[in-house]
Amino acid sequence: MSTLTGIFMIMLTAAVYRLSLYIHRKAESPWTLPILTSTVVIIAFLAFFKIPYDQYMIGGEWINELLGPAVVALAYPLYIHRRILVKLALPLLAGTAAGAFTGVVSGVSMAKWAGFGPEILYAVSAKSVTTPVAIVITESLGGITSLAAVMVMIAGIGGAIIHSYIFRLFGIHSHLGRGMGMGSASHAIGTAELMKDNQIEGSISTVAMVASAVLVSLITPLLVLWLV
Amino acid sequence: MIGVESMLKLLKIIFQIGILYILYWAGEWVAETLNLSLPGSIIGMVLLIFLLFTRTVRLEWIGEGAGFMVKYLPFFFIPSTLGIMQYYEIFAGNGFLLIVIVLVSTMLVMGVSGLIGELYHRRGEGR
Repeated sequence: MSTLTGIFMIMLTAAVYRLSLYIHRKAESPWTLPILTSTVVIIAFLAFFKIPYDQYMIGGEWINELLGPAVVALAYPLYIHRRILVKLALPLLAGTAAGAFTGVVSGVSMAKWAGFGPEILYAVSAKSVTTPVAIVITESLGGITSLAAVMVMIAGIGGAIIHSYIFRLFGIHSHLGRGMGMGSASHAIGTAELMKDNQIEGSISTVAMVASAVLVSLITPLLVLWLV
Repeated sequence: MIGVESMLKLLKIIFQIGILYILYWAGEWVAETLNLSLPGSIIGMVLLIFLLFTRTVRLEWIGEGAGFMVKYLPFFFIPSTLGIMQYYEIFAGNGFLLIVIVLVSTMLVMGVSGLIGELYHRRGEGR
């Protein structure tokens, strides 16, 4: 029974994702982003049939398991574009460091100003980096890890949706600027979106994402001492 | 009907994803052994770059499988993004404010980091 449920959930996810790719092709807009429409449609489906998340995850776990090798696969475009990336190492590091600092300081100080307690501030602090890193950081500070995971999702999906507006607002048009902005702010979810359309931007974003994960895990414990 | 050729290609992709999976595993092992706070998948990625640079792993051993995974990368995030559904209550009350804060902060990060890249790019063009 549970095997059947699992297979059904995998097929459901694949079918909804294919459909959302089709919709995005037909009506291209940040609001038809496949990761967004897929998430909304599947949540609606599960809510309608009153299927809990745990039951979805019988199959979802299998897809999730492949996320590991999928992130490893990012080495491939990185290696292909290695010459450009090595040349851009300096601005990449500088920009990512500035982004990491901005993210922790702005997130934590706004949340503090809004009156949230320390365990929530810690969960917000690491929202710009990929989920596993954010969870480790939040845990070590004593924050609410499940809340951190949600904040990471919002930063990722949010960034993937609004990036075109932000880049226009700040006048960011180069591959370098777009890749760095996305990788620093919206980790792997944002990177995956850029990678679909442009491998160079996606590769720059990958480097920014990895550098950001390392930098944020180093500076957050120190910044939090000062901010909270 | 699936032709023999596309069947072989599919097998090749599956085999290559297997190689990526082994690297992911190796990354997990390194993270655990050295007690690092980085995820195994990112360590596995760095490991693969190293192996490609040293020609221990040839590009054609992983190229098609990796290309496939990268192309469909957003798909593999769906189960974890669905995790949001367990936290409906966050979207109610003053938790809503947290979402706004995270979005504003994300915009700032994207703008600051992106602008530094943009300025560097323009400076390079001006030369």
